[in-house]
Amino acid sequence: MKDKKKSLAFANLIGAVLFLALGVWAWFKADGFQKVKGSYVQPSSFPRIMIWGLLIFSVMLIIQSLWKLRTMDEDDPLAVPAESINFIKDKSVAAALLVIALCAVFVFLFKPAGYVLSSFLLCMVIMYMIGKRNWVQMVLVSLLVPLVMWAVFYKLLTVNIPMGPLDFLCTLMDKI
Amino acid sequence: MDFSLLLHSYAAVFTNFQVIFMTLLGAFGGVLLGAIPGMTATMGVALLIPFSFGMDLIPSIGLLLGIYCGGMYGGSISAILIHAPGTPSAAATLLDGYPMTQKGEAGRALSIAMFSSFCGGVIGALVMTFLSPLIADMAMNFGPGEMFMLAVFGLSVIIAISGKSIIKGMISAFFGMLMCTVGLDPTNGIPRFITYSDTSLLEGFQFIPTLIGLFAISEVIAGVERIIKGSEKQEHSNEKITNVLPDFATIKKIWPNILSGGLIGTFIGAIPGAGGDIAVFVSYGASKSASKHPELYGTGIPQGVAATESANNGCSGGAMIPLLSLGVPGDAVTAILLGAFIMKGIQPGPMMYISELPTVYNVFAALMLANLCMLIVGCAGVRFFAKIVSVEKKMLYPIILVVSLLGAFSINKNVFDVGVCVAFGVMGWLMNKYEFPLSPILLTLILGPMCEKNFVRFMNIQKGNFFAITTSPIAMGFFLVAVAVILFSIYNQKKINKREAAAKAAARAQK
Repeated sequence: MKDKKKSLAFANLIGAVLFLALGVWAWFKADGFQKVKGSYVQPSSFPRIMIWGLLIFSVMLIIQSLWKLRTMDEDDPLAVPAESINFIKDKSVAAALLVIALCAVFVFLFKPAGYVLSSFLLCMVIMYMIGKRNWVQMVLVSLLVPLVMWAVFYKLLTVNIPMGPLDFLCTLMDKI
Repeated sequence: MDFSLLLHSYAAVFTNFQVIFMTLLGAFGGVLLGAIPGMTATMGVALLIPFSFGMDLIPSIGLLLGIYCGGMYGGSISAILIHAPGTPSAAATLLDGYPMTQKGEAGRALSIAMFSSFCGGVIGALVMTFLSPLIADMAMNFGPGEMFMLAVFGLSVIIAISGKSIIKGMISAFFGMLMCTVGLDPTNGIPRFITYSDTSLLEGFQFIPTLIGLFAISEVIAGVERIIKGSEKQEHSNEKITNVLPDFATIKKIWPNILSGGLIGTFIGAIPGAGGDIAVFVSYGASKSASKHPELYGTGIPQGVAATESANNGCSGGAMIPLLSLGVPGDAVTAILLGAFIMKGIQPGPMMYISELPTVYNVFAALMLANLCMLIVGCAGVRFFAKIVSVEKKMLYPIILVVSLLGAFSINKNVFDVGVCVAFGVMGWLMNKYEFPLSPILLTLILGPMCEKNFVRFMNIQKGNFFAITTSPIAMGFFLVAVAVILFSIYNQKKINKREAAAKAAARAQK
């Protein structure tokens, strides 16, 4: 094996350690749950059973990964290189992270800017980022899809969706 | 059973233009609503019930059943095409449906889903017609202990859907179960992992935003990554859809899955509180366990789609059984239907079979008609739906993203849910990258709350004596089947790993 640290076995080890840490954190958190007098099952009982399961299987995965890292040859299924999350070296990871950041911006803009405007922004930026350059299609899709979805939800399903500055569309729609 | 009255009712329903039209309209609306991620059949029925106020009972029941059946099938469309189940009941359809789309068989997957949904629905309707009083009696024997074991039985499918690594599947499952415990304790109202001030999480993570995040958002993130990498394939709908229904060879292959799925769906649907979301996983697990080639499940095979979709629609008939024979709704949709009956002055329950027998038979016939209408709407739409995958991926992904995020918002009209959806999307993306299966999380999100609630109730009733569960034959039956499923799944997984190792060794030897 050339670089064991890039193998799936190593990624499994990291994953297992993270889940183990989560289990330990949850265990201590469960310690602080309020007790209920007279109840045969405390609020912490069920989560604790689940934490036990998480801890046991995380430890099993750690042991399996450590064992594999010591003994595996190149043909081992766990010897395959794991996918990268290095956004500096890998442009595709950087793009994925940018989509996540854009989604976070969408969440923050959802109420003040409204669904249609924030969706327009999200669609346009993502399309441009992934190489779409037909501006007419880009603008039409980014505008029409959110508008149609809003109209369906607002008129047919009577779900009120924040519209921000475009709130006048609701009044317009009510008149139809 | 009065067969002449039954035939007369079928004839009356199938020749009444108003009933046919309303049922067809309902099925059309249901398919469209179901296909939108976040819109469930329950929401569709609840939204359209006011339209049925002015109608006679049977056309209005036809409309509502049309939405119900259409919505059940509609959920599979987005699951198959864009990896985002439209309804929770279609959650398992994506396991094989989406890989079929990736193989360029979107049209085939849709037609199999539609045909299986129809057959499952017919099985449900037939069982409802002939066995409803019998099943209703059995379903009413389900107390907390039985419900807990039913949940355990459902959870036993985890190993079957864990993929290559059982350990990773179990980690995903326990992680999912742990997430179900976030929020107020269902019995005592004690906050867990949150404080009383975290009002958005008092009820825990909402299922639909979580589901959309884990599957749709993560797929969009991964899709963008693939496009930048240059490894994304643009599917073109070159697939020739000559028949909107599956061919004879496919039907021959999938009929055992349809039959078992339909029966599983009907039985689970008849248990109050258990519905399509549980039935589909149980049916999928059963189908995989019974298969000679379990390793093919999850790679895009018709049997996987057939098993889940028939169970999904089988539930519609099953859920009607306790409603009509006991006046107890089997799920949320039948709870709304119960309201519709009462509004029309009819009280479902044992007396309905005596005083309102023609109405009962009319409802049986209306359910059959609703399934037929769903098939007609589905047939008309297959070619159109299949074209969706031909949309350029550079446009399709942003569209999926904004539609999915809106779906997450629409459930509670809460922006926090949109944030939860994005967070779970990121988690799903990372877990997929490192081959931690997502399906066990999905299953535990469905079954976790049911499992805990009934476990606590049972323990409190039995004063802490868990072993009292051994006195219930139904609970023990579920337990034994669950153990058998777990053992069989482990054996199957070992067989799959051995076969894969042998295939690799053979490939190496050839080189």
